[in-house]
Amino acid sequence: VKTIRIALTLVLGAALAGGLAAQDVPTRLDGRVSPEVRHAVQGIAADAAAHGLPVDPLVQKAIEGAAKGVPGDRVIAAVRALAGRLAEAMEAVRQGGVAAPSEEVVEGGADALNAGISGRQVSDLVRVSQPPHDPALTLRVAATLAALGVPAKQTLQLVQEMISAGRSPSDLLGLPGQVQAGVARGATPAQAAAGLARAAGGAPPGRLPDWVPPGQRKPRNPHKP
Amino acid sequence: MTAGYHLLVKRLLDGELTLAELPPELRAEGEEALGLVGAADRAPVALSPALEERVMATVRRHAASSQAASLGNRAWRWLNTPRDVQVRLRVRPWTVWAGVLAAAAALALLLGRPTPQAVPGAQARGGVRDSVLVRFVLYAPGAHRVAVAGTFNQWDRGAAPLVPAGRSGVWTTTLALPVGQHQYAFVVDGARWVADPGAPAVDDGFGRRNSIVAVTAQGARL
Repeated sequence: VKTIRIALTLVLGAALAGGLAAQDVPTRLDGRVSPEVRHAVQGIAADAAAHGLPVDPLVQKAIEGAAKGVPGDRVIAAVRALAGRLAEAMEAVRQGGVAAPSEEVVEGGADALNAGISGRQVSDLVRVSQPPHDPALTLRVAATLAALGVPAKQTLQLVQEMISAGRSPSDLLGLPGQVQAGVARGATPAQAAAGLARAAGGAPPGRLPDWVPPGQRKPRNPHKP
Repeated sequence: MTAGYHLLVKRLLDGELTLAELPPELRAEGEEALGLVGAADRAPVALSPALEERVMATVRRHAASSQAASLGNRAWRWLNTPRDVQVRLRVRPWTVWAGVLAAAAALALLLGRPTPQAVPGAQARGGVRDSVLVRFVLYAPGAHRVAVAGTFNQWDRGAAPLVPAGRSGVWTTTLALPVGQHQYAFVVDGARWVADPGAPAVDDGFGRRNSIVAVTAQGARL
């Protein structure tokens, strides 16, 4: 009962903070977007705040659209789609065991969804992010790996492998850079990620220790003639 | 005058030796020294009465001037005069508790102060955070203007212009970004939005791509 009460307090607190942030939306959009976009985004933001979702990404998306010269209706559609992703991310994060997620975690989840990671995979990523790992950081890293072209399933496996091997959050944060380095050497994102998974703690589940991803040559054994 | 006399002659003058006891070669010197000492006037000195009057007049004048010293001088003298002081310290319990409460209040105030940040001007969502310098580079030969816009500058096309490195076609700038993940794109000649070819990119929701940069306290990571 005590845990539920704390969770409810946190949710109400987040909703209140979101409500205050939503009141600031018209001021932030003034002079940056057209009046119709401002009106529409204000409504979307108020609805998001009422559900405890972060408002700032919605305002940012509207400003971005206007700055890029995108027509108003497309800006509104993009903001509405983002609000939907944030709601989906919130649900996925809760499914992952975080009752009252912070704005950073929800935004990280939305980024992961946008990069092609499914809601179920977002929940799995949150679930494996036990201290010292922060779910927000884990989700951001996964989103970046997916954005680099690493398949979603392989991204999830790589991150899980790193965490279960006891690697630090800093190691996790270095993964996208290592994948990029692998790609720069001629590997595909999948091959680069597989190499990192091997180095983290062995081959993917169900594979032999000397497994290499398809299309990649096994390293030559220098002890063999 | 006596500095040049032999040590035995000096002992003669002090009465420790007699003239007969001196070696023969020192006797002439001894006789001379005894003659000089004997020639000294040993009659009692009589001071004139006028001298005594002059000395006493001077003493009285000094005493009078001392009494007429300014109030400031007297106060200064009083302050500097050492004297014994006796202090009795009696501690009551309420004074101890008042001290403890004052110390606790001071400690609470000290701990409640906001911690200064590395770059005070850098503001990110959720409060003030540390900032890290991030260098942006774009190869855009033939471009007249290049800028970088993103979530860190409210997508302002004019906020962060890049500088050309000679005629090489390479444009660069360095920005202090708050810790967190940011989306951005380059703006070429004020109108063309270009994703960073050296960074991962995601769909921007408008049919284009935004680049991603993750900034940690240790530096920027892709």
